[in-house]
Amino acid sequence: MTAVRTIAQALAVPLALLLAVIAQLAVVNRVPLPGGTAPDLVLLVVTAVAVRAGPMAGLLAGFAGGLALDAAPPASHLAGEYALVFCLVGYACGRARNAIIHATGEQTMVASLTVMALGTAAGEAGKAALGRLVSDPDITGQAIKHVLPGAIVYDLLLCPFVFWLVSLVLRRPAPERAPRPEQTRIASAFRVASAGAAGAVPRLRLAGSTPSPVRAPLSREPKLRLASAHPSPLSGTYAAFSPAHAPVPGGRPVKVNFGHAGPGTPRQRQPASPGKGWLRADPPAGEAALKRTSPGKGWLRAQHRAVPPPRRTSPGKGWIRAQRPAAAAVPRTSPGKGWIRPAKPSAAALRRTSPGKGWIRAGHPAPALPRRTSPGKGWIRARRPTAAAVPRPALGKNWIRARKPMFALRRTPNGNGWLNAQRPGVVMVPRRTSPGKGWIRPAKPAPAPRLASPGKGWLRPAKPVPRPRRKSPGKGWLRPAKPAPRNWYGRSPSTRWVRHSHSPWRGRRRRLLSLVGGRR
Amino acid sequence: MHEVRWTRPVLIVLLIAAIALITLDFRDAGNSSAHGIGADVFGPVERTAGAVASPFESLFRAASGNQGAEISSLQKQNDQLRAELAQSQVSAGEQAQLTQLLHLTNTGHYQVVAATVIAAGGAYSDTVTINVGRRDGIATDETVLNGDGLVGTVTAVTSSTATVQLLTDAGSTVGVKLDGTGDIGALSGTGSTMAASRELRLTLFSSTATLSPGQTLVTFGSVGGRPYVAGVPVGEVTAVTSQPGALTQTALVKPFTDVSGLGVIGVVVSR
Repeated sequence: MTAVRTIAQALAVPLALLLAVIAQLAVVNRVPLPGGTAPDLVLLVVTAVAVRAGPMAGLLAGFAGGLALDAAPPASHLAGEYALVFCLVGYACGRARNAIIHATGEQTMVASLTVMALGTAAGEAGKAALGRLVSDPDITGQAIKHVLPGAIVYDLLLCPFVFWLVSLVLRRPAPERAPRPEQTRIASAFRVASAGAAGAVPRLRLAGSTPSPVRAPLSREPKLRLASAHPSPLSGTYAAFSPAHAPVPGGRPVKVNFGHAGPGTPRQRQPASPGKGWLRADPPAGEAALKRTSPGKGWLRAQHRAVPPPRRTSPGKGWIRAQRPAAAAVPRTSPGKGWIRPAKPSAAALRRTSPGKGWIRAGHPAPALPRRTSPGKGWIRARRPTAAAVPRPALGKNWIRARKPMFALRRTPNGNGWLNAQRPGVVMVPRRTSPGKGWIRPAKPAPAPRLASPGKGWLRPAKPVPRPRRKSPGKGWLRPAKPAPRNWYGRSPSTRWVRHSHSPWRGRRRRLLSLVGGRR
Repeated sequence: MHEVRWTRPVLIVLLIAAIALITLDFRDAGNSSAHGIGADVFGPVERTAGAVASPFESLFRAASGNQGAEISSLQKQNDQLRAELAQSQVSAGEQAQLTQLLHLTNTGHYQVVAATVIAAGGAYSDTVTINVGRRDGIATDETVLNGDGLVGTVTAVTSSTATVQLLTDAGSTVGVKLDGTGDIGALSGTGSTMAASRELRLTLFSSTATLSPGQTLVTFGSVGGRPYVAGVPVGEVTAVTSQPGALTQTALVKPFTDVSGLGVIGVVVSR
């Protein structure tokens, strides 16, 4: 497909040039246009190709098109004149286009059309100048004065049209994306959410999903993992989230499970649970202390570190904190500073249910929700992240529950909703119609991916993929060139090449590395 | 990378090639083999394109009101008649004089090959390509006319196409004489110098001849009828531009043919 398209594009430029030559000679020159002049279609095509495809294509197209105009029968000027002029014009337009792309990073339609207009005007002037130079009897000063302005005006009028046509021909193929299964989309959304925050943030990961390439070291970070608290008969749907099916990460796995509760199923809670709906990571001094210092409902707590980081690093209210500074400095009655808080709650919500500074909150719940005061079932729970010496407690203990409506899975037991992997024929798309408030939306087109404050209180997986905004006003109309892929076959030179070359990238790389302090 | 490395050498090579082409063509005075090869390559394509484009072009011309829709067969017939008329317009005595003077050998009727314009040159040059060539008996330096009068002369011929230099081209010069008085002069094209009017510039050789607007001009004729046969109407004087005291009289001449709207034309085959 791509090869066919490439070949078609390679053939399309000579074909367009031939068509332009024929149309120029057989139609445009014969039609008596007002002003006694005519546009130069070949020059327009050459400049458009140069603007779209760069200097090499521009100069080749210019030479070929100019030579065709020189040699095709009614031509009375010397052979090679137009080839020379068009070749130079195509090269100059391609260089200007490259310079614009290099300077601004993109190719806008206005810049392209400006380059093209300047190129055609320069081409018309160059034709006249070269004719004067070789003392063509047709090209006198008077003739130039009569012909040149009209020709340039006609060229400028035809510029957008020809540019559009050439853009249609030379349109780059859209990068092909493999269709992703729905879970991978959600997982990637979580990955983006967790990668967007600092490294000290507990990482959200969907069990069963592929590990992210941006994964931080396992040893120091607790991990949030989505899991079902109990496998249910619907486990075909839930299987991907259940811890039984998930590979247990090595090191000190600190997991936060997004538990769920079926509508009618009894919950299997341990009595030592710190409270309903809590996300807990590591108890600072043991379970007894943890029970006492249970911060309240609906909060997330992360791992407590024995080594106290300086207090300065505590960013204040509403920020995500990874470490508790010191165990002794924190009064037992409140979680104190050093707890992970992903978001600052609104003032009203804070007054009502604020557990104190430094607690992890999974999100600021909307005040209008009914379950605000008692998250109860289905909250995120974390596992104990401490060293291997500490025995991993049973499931109920040290788990933090997420809010109940965190997942849609519970709501859709008959499989017409999310992630129904078992039922063939059911499209696995999230239900966009009514997720309601408080759902984890895998791909909400949020206007801004503000991770620190997700707004109305929900663990949003962040903006799915920051796709480049399409600049083109319509279908096929003057699209800017897509950025080249940054890999070994793309435009970006390899590190090895840059280090041994004299290209400008070498200096940039060295400056950047000296800033960062990396290896040269 | 690849592109950047090779762009400049390719550019330099192509520029050198273009300059070499210009030099060769300049040395051969515009008749190098490049034109011949190009004509052989593009001639058939232009024939096809001209056949395809002529309905649209005539449609455009009809819409713009320059000419009505004309049937080509009638026009061909008209060309033939006009050519004979042009011959008969010259009075018998003058014709005898001319024949004697110029040793014209062909005093009979001209044989006209009808042709259609299929392509036209650029904005600066007034040249057209017609759809007859060597295999139709066309050779270079043959007179081209249509129902209105003189069109130009054939400058290049391929097997299937021919290039006609119109009399309005800046490089064209036609020997003419005034219809009434018989004063001779040279009529040269102005090219695109006067963009809208397409007028010709007449220079009379005689300083005593009187010029007045409205006088018509016919071709004076060349040896063997090449490049111009005698007696073809060319145009009429519109303005006398001669300066007082000048050695020669000059005038502006409006050609009878509308060179911007050429359709069916005829090539005078000599024999």
